[in-house]
Amino acid sequence: MEAADALRALAVVEVTDRPEVYLTLRAVLASGQDAQRVFDEVFWEFWGARQREVDAGAPGEQGTLALDGQRALDRVLLEWHEADEDAGGEGERVPAYSPVEALTRKDFSAFSADELNEITAVVIAIARRVATRLSRRTRAARRGHLVDLRRTMRASLRSGGEILEILRRERRLQKTRIVLLCDVSGSMDLYSRFLIQFVYALQHAVGRVETFVFSTGLSRITGSLAHEDLRAALDEISRRVPDWSGGTKIGRSLRRFLTEYGTVLDPRTVVIIISDGWDTGEVDVLEAAMAELRRRTAKVIWLNPLLASPGYEPICQGMRVALPYVDIFAPAHNLESLKRLERYLTRVS
Amino acid sequence: MHPEVSRIQELLSGQGYIADRAIATSVYLSIALRKPLLIEGAAGVGKTEVAKVMARALGTDLIRLQCYEGLDATTSLYEWNYQRQLLHIRLSEGGERSVAEREAEIFSEAFLLKRPLLNAITQAQAPVLLVDEIDRADAEFEAFLLEVLSDFQVSIPEIGTITATTTPYVVLTSNRTRELGDALRRRCLYLWIDYPSFEKELEIVSRRVPAINGHLAEQIGALMQLIRRLRLEKTPGVAETLDWSAALMALHRDHLDREAVEETLGVLFKHQDDATTVRTQWLEPLLDGLAVLEREGRPWSQELIARAADRLQTRR
Repeated sequence: MEAADALRALAVVEVTDRPEVYLTLRAVLASGQDAQRVFDEVFWEFWGARQREVDAGAPGEQGTLALDGQRALDRVLLEWHEADEDAGGEGERVPAYSPVEALTRKDFSAFSADELNEITAVVIAIARRVATRLSRRTRAARRGHLVDLRRTMRASLRSGGEILEILRRERRLQKTRIVLLCDVSGSMDLYSRFLIQFVYALQHAVGRVETFVFSTGLSRITGSLAHEDLRAALDEISRRVPDWSGGTKIGRSLRRFLTEYGTVLDPRTVVIIISDGWDTGEVDVLEAAMAELRRRTAKVIWLNPLLASPGYEPICQGMRVALPYVDIFAPAHNLESLKRLERYLTRVS
Repeated sequence: MHPEVSRIQELLSGQGYIADRAIATSVYLSIALRKPLLIEGAAGVGKTEVAKVMARALGTDLIRLQCYEGLDATTSLYEWNYQRQLLHIRLSEGGERSVAEREAEIFSEAFLLKRPLLNAITQAQAPVLLVDEIDRADAEFEAFLLEVLSDFQVSIPEIGTITATTTPYVVLTSNRTRELGDALRRRCLYLWIDYPSFEKELEIVSRRVPAINGHLAEQIGALMQLIRRLRLEKTPGVAETLDWSAALMALHRDHLDREAVEETLGVLFKHQDDATTVRTQWLEPLLDGLAVLEREGRPWSQELIARAADRLQTRR
């Protein structure tokens, strides 16, 4: 279909004018900014001549040069920005934590069985908060707060135009899918018990959760978690996931997730990443993957169990490039921090 | 260049829209092939303006459908005029006609309120249909729109099928807050509008704010290039440049200095955070950058400004 369009388009322009042919084919064939960049490469490679006399608007040589400069600048800017944050500290949007408090509160790495239930309750509240919201679309309902004029009118005809009953509509409840991506690498070892608890509670709280674990590779564990028994689930996961507690390649894992399981994402999906952001892979892979994730979903939430640990600063490479694409970045090291996240979500939604 | 492309470029420029060749070619193709034109780009680069200017250049009407979350058929396609229907029922009370007959009467075209989409396909002369910010509508609406745009007919249960009298010129814009479906992309020609280069923006400013002096316009253009390199909540677009130029004119400023910039920050930055960040962190480097450029001598160019900006950050 596009080929036919391209031919039709070429028929109405000056085919001997290369820049014009370039612009024409680009408009027809490359249906997105990324696609245009690819098209750019291919077109000029095919036609040999690198003289891109097309002016602005073409993401050509001038564009790429500017882009590199931009990147370098961005990096510098971000560093300054972060230096400031450490002083003033907006704690990335979620109410700030204080290191003192972190020391007085018990970490998840040492939580007791009594706290299990409470944790589960908070996680469920968080899940409900991010997983449902009112749609702008409506449906017929007996006790809605909106009047359904269309149906009211129709019903009134039966009684000779007298309106005996006002029929109503209400706003639909929109269900969101949650995708959970958990880092299970060595640096997260201490927190893996919390993590499993979180994952398990979430999976049981909302119907549509897809859960993946990653370290150097990525595995989907939604199926294993369907077990009613937590211990059995844990056992099965540790059997099935070979690289539990290895190093982390967050970028590559996310990329694999996007390519292999990308279809579970839609513009309403909320993605929750639980990781400390210690990435041993290539930084630009991570950045590209985060950008795509952000674009294809409704919200990206990053929970960091190490955020409040003394000595941890969220400035490791991975975290730094990922942050601009994260909507909510919050500590998740103890019950108090989870509760705070829940309260925060109540305020914003 | 195809004569039509340059004609369209002139038409657009006659309407005060500075279009580079990529924009003019896309508009031309969209008109020649009658394919919808999907325009993406950051907010404030003049996406909506393309449709408005296109309508003026073609001498036809512009019908605008502003998208928002939850937009559905009743607000985009048609709705019944309930008040009129009620009145009609009252007035025809006591008549001999049966319920079925009266129902047919009030659900006829006379009682139909045409919303933008239906309006666009039932005009005598093909209008320009602007579907603005399609990314803000949900995926269901996108599918619905696709259906209307490929069949150019609408079926209304009470009346039947209404077929298009004319095919409108369709322009869709998106700010990329959400990824659009592939089906929609395939149906459309695609145009990405970036922030303008220094040269293009200078031309736009001198065209739209004719009273401005050349020196101030250049300073504004250069500073915009530098500002757009900062990481901000909302990068100012061309609309902000024009507002800023007008604001500086109104304050009788003939060049940019600390005071002039500080006074007018609110015109440029629509986020409190951005205004604060720029005031506290970036004002100094930005003015430094301007000073560096002043020493370089004229004329300024995109490359010169880019170089100045690079030097600025390595020095810090």
